[in-house]
Amino acid sequence: MSKPGSVTRAKVLGLLGRMLIVGLLVIGCVVFVMPVYTSFAMSLKTPSELATTAAWSWPQNPTVANYDEVLSNPNVNFFRLFWNTVTISTLATIGTVISASLVAYAFAKMKFSGRDRLFAVMLSTMMLPAIVTMIPTYILFKELRWVNTFLPLTVPAFFGGGAFNIFLLRQFFMSIPKELDEAAKIEGAGHWTIYSRVVMPLSGSALATVGVFCFIYNWRDFMGPLIYLNDPQLQTLETGLATYNSLRSEQWHLLMAGSILVTIPLIVIFFLGQRYFVKGISMTGLK
Amino acid sequence: MRRLALHLAILALLLGLAMFPTLARATVELRLVVWDGDESLRVLQQVTRDFEQAHPGIKVRLEAVDYRYFFQRLLSQIAGNSAPDVAMMDPQNMQMFAKRGALLPLDPLIAETPGFRLDEYYEPIVAVHRWDGKLFVLPRDIAPIGLIYYNKRLFREAGLAEPDGSWTWDFEPRPELDVGCFTHVMSRLTKKDNTGKVVQWGFAPSWTGAFTDTVVFSQGARYVDDPEAFRRMNFTDPRVIRAFDFVAKLATDRKWMPSQAELTSVVQSTAVDLFISQRVAMYQCGIWDVPKIRKALRPGSPEFFEWDITLAPGYKDPVTGTISRAAPTGGSGYGILASTRYPKEAWLLTQWMAGEPGMRAMAKAGIAQPAIMRLAQGEDWIPGPNTPIEQRYPANRIITDIAAKQVVFPPTADYWTEISGLVFSKTESIYLGTATAKEALTEGQTIASKRLETILKEESLPRFDWRVGCIVGFLLLAGVLGWVYGPELRKKRTTAQRMENRASLWFLAPWLLGALLFAIGPMIFSFLMSFSKWDIIQAADYRGIGNYREALFQDPRFWTTVKVTGVYTLVSVPLGMAFALALALLLNTKVRGIPVYRTFFYLPALASAVASALIWRKIFQPEGGLLNFVLFGKDGRGDFLGLASWLAPNGQLPNWLGDERLALPSLIIMSLWGVGGGMVILLAGLQGIPDYYYEAATLDGAGPWSKFKAVTLPMVSPSLFFTLITGVIGSFQVFTQAFVMTQGGPNDSTRFYMLHLYDQSFGSLRMGYASALAWLLFGAIFVVTRLQWKLNRYVYYEGAA
Repeated sequence: MSKPGSVTRAKVLGLLGRMLIVGLLVIGCVVFVMPVYTSFAMSLKTPSELATTAAWSWPQNPTVANYDEVLSNPNVNFFRLFWNTVTISTLATIGTVISASLVAYAFAKMKFSGRDRLFAVMLSTMMLPAIVTMIPTYILFKELRWVNTFLPLTVPAFFGGGAFNIFLLRQFFMSIPKELDEAAKIEGAGHWTIYSRVVMPLSGSALATVGVFCFIYNWRDFMGPLIYLNDPQLQTLETGLATYNSLRSEQWHLLMAGSILVTIPLIVIFFLGQRYFVKGISMTGLK
Repeated sequence: MRRLALHLAILALLLGLAMFPTLARATVELRLVVWDGDESLRVLQQVTRDFEQAHPGIKVRLEAVDYRYFFQRLLSQIAGNSAPDVAMMDPQNMQMFAKRGALLPLDPLIAETPGFRLDEYYEPIVAVHRWDGKLFVLPRDIAPIGLIYYNKRLFREAGLAEPDGSWTWDFEPRPELDVGCFTHVMSRLTKKDNTGKVVQWGFAPSWTGAFTDTVVFSQGARYVDDPEAFRRMNFTDPRVIRAFDFVAKLATDRKWMPSQAELTSVVQSTAVDLFISQRVAMYQCGIWDVPKIRKALRPGSPEFFEWDITLAPGYKDPVTGTISRAAPTGGSGYGILASTRYPKEAWLLTQWMAGEPGMRAMAKAGIAQPAIMRLAQGEDWIPGPNTPIEQRYPANRIITDIAAKQVVFPPTADYWTEISGLVFSKTESIYLGTATAKEALTEGQTIASKRLETILKEESLPRFDWRVGCIVGFLLLAGVLGWVYGPELRKKRTTAQRMENRASLWFLAPWLLGALLFAIGPMIFSFLMSFSKWDIIQAADYRGIGNYREALFQDPRFWTTVKVTGVYTLVSVPLGMAFALALALLLNTKVRGIPVYRTFFYLPALASAVASALIWRKIFQPEGGLLNFVLFGKDGRGDFLGLASWLAPNGQLPNWLGDERLALPSLIIMSLWGVGGGMVILLAGLQGIPDYYYEAATLDGAGPWSKFKAVTLPMVSPSLFFTLITGVIGSFQVFTQAFVMTQGGPNDSTRFYMLHLYDQSFGSLRMGYASALAWLLFGAIFVVTRLQWKLNRYVYYEGAA
């Protein structure tokens, strides 16, 4: 037991530290929320108010007319595009989480021949700018008769899910204590059991991170849908949004309303997904 | 776990079923691709519906792609042999397709069509769409940028008569000519407050470049010797120099008009918006701004004022006294792709869209001036007694007919964009006052001529031999496999090792298959192309190491872009990592409401890139921008943290994106708002640290700093290592920020490597060269990653196998 005086001192210090942290968090929030706040404020203004007021000023008479117009524009069938985007993003995310975790498990937990060099090869697929592989990739999908379907945007996700995600999961899997898989091995478990019963359940936070990243990436992808989808009925939200941003007629009021609408589902997904960010090893009570 | 898997499987199945759209089969289905935005797209949809009704048995699928990505998409589709049947075209891009046989010549189709009269179209727009004597595009509109919109009220207030279009430049104000002298009118319409700050400009160009062109062309000067395939440039022609001097002086010295930099980064408004809000009295543009002005200035609304259009001034020859006029112009039309299976139907559609039905509809909406003279002079375009009031402005539309006859198109040679870009990036310094027009243009022309020489060098190249290519490709693949497995062959393998290898294959299978199916092929293809001259449309020629030699020793932009990208990486990656770690540590504390904070910090990474780009431009605005407001306060005299006096020693507010020393730092500052991704990864790493590690450290009497050093840092090192490696790979390939914010300017200070690569690939159709650039970048990233991998030794993996 320590003396009562020092307890109070520690308490005061702890309180001060806590206040400092909260203060920093609040300042940080203001700074980081500002761009999205600005587009929200702009989305509630009429075009003439947009032209005459500072971008971050709160609208004098907030109006949802821009949202109405975006949602009812027959050229950009918002609900159709929403459903398309949900389909593509969900499938790509499922594919990525499943396949990237398998591959990452091999690189993290198995000792097969040529592992480290194969890993270097895998990583190097990230290093070539996609723009020079765009045309051969297009030709490939064309020959597979996949153009103008969602397949080019979803199927590759089931085949590894990209070097970024594999690398990320590998880093997390390598942090899972060796004792755990060794214990499982002694009890006669194979790699499949270790993967599905030990590694996956312990990697909730990493899998959620990859899942959320992947969902957001596909939701926001512009080039993929632009190149592979011709039919206006198959477009995604991001390509639909581009209608309001054409070179000769930029309609900022509609663009801002549209971009807020496109962002809201992502905010929801992130907010829900982050519940899992905390369920790592610390929750297992392992000693 | 199993239930969840089942649910996921069912969900995947359902979504999969939704993916296959049922396509209604019509007898003939034509794909038509346009770059029109929302409003004119609505008009086009009506026009295509009318076409379908008039031609039962033909269905039209209308696709709209913005101009910025239009040609990239079209080129990919041509290469993939799935091009649309009819595509929109413009003079700048037409040649690149026509010359390579991607477009159908229209003359035979015209000959077969009785009653079709090409002579009804304005001659210049038809002429510019010919290549090698053949017509490839049927023009739908002509868009001279030679119109001056003017505010009648402000003219009246200044005591000036309304302009009748007979005015001239005169280079210096000549008050004795009154409204006959454009420069004088500009000066009279400019209002400054008593500090000398402009409150109302006399004039604003929509693009300073187009305004300068008008002055150049009306004097009879041209930038190049032959617009179709130029070999010489005339940027040092005294008339060109005089025009650049004149325009720069109006903006920087006299301040009668805003400069381009002022428009894009200071005022951050377009000329038309300044006109609508009465902050400029006249502005120069084409006719397509009319719908926007009409919408903003409805008769009877409080914003309304009387306005009209008139012709841009001409040049009066001091010796002969004759007045000559010329206006730069755009214009567009429809071309038929050579690959179409239905040339007859495609021609019917082209005639409809770029003929009377299409043009009438566009004219009525006030969107485009018809390319057919009869329609451009008729009542759909020129207001008459039956025109409804809201379509009556501008009244003087008859002058568009005059303007259309004196247009000058930009050079159509496909290397014009790159060559002119090299010159015009130098002319920015005229406005900054760091060079005279003569110096800047001479320097620009010297650099550009050298580049032109490289581009025009006639190399007799052999066809690319694909048999050899395939062999090299296989050898390459074999080489990589040899590098991976070679050292293993010499090792003795135990049974356990063999079992492990076999088991690993099952886990690796998705990636191995995926790489084999989707990644390796295109990568090898681009590697082979890096030794070729390939324009995407035609078959490739073999160029040996020519591309690599050109990049390293001849390309004037190569080393600039390397430097810009290197500086960006060196500064933004460590800064970003430090920021991400600091945020992650903050968010890892036990404070209430952490989920909300976390979401807020991640918001910028969730937001739309295009919307964010606009907002960032506003933030960096010198006057009224948020950043300068924080640093300098409302009155511009504040000194936040002493930063202000360091940034602006002479008291002038920094123009972040417009200043070549500050543009790159601005993009780096902006990149810090995207650290949310790194933060989430590091946070996941931090959350994985078991509490008892800290408890044990506390028992050992460790303070916060030694706990951080002994527990936090090693435990989070795998995530830190990941953010470092992927951060460097990503920032070497940084593209979007510069593409949407600065387009590489000012004076190439933000021209990233990828921006240059992009321009070369889809802009100049030099895909072979772009592939060489890409593989050089690949090499650089590979080496840097390899070096960083040495840090892996210090990364603490608790469970490494």
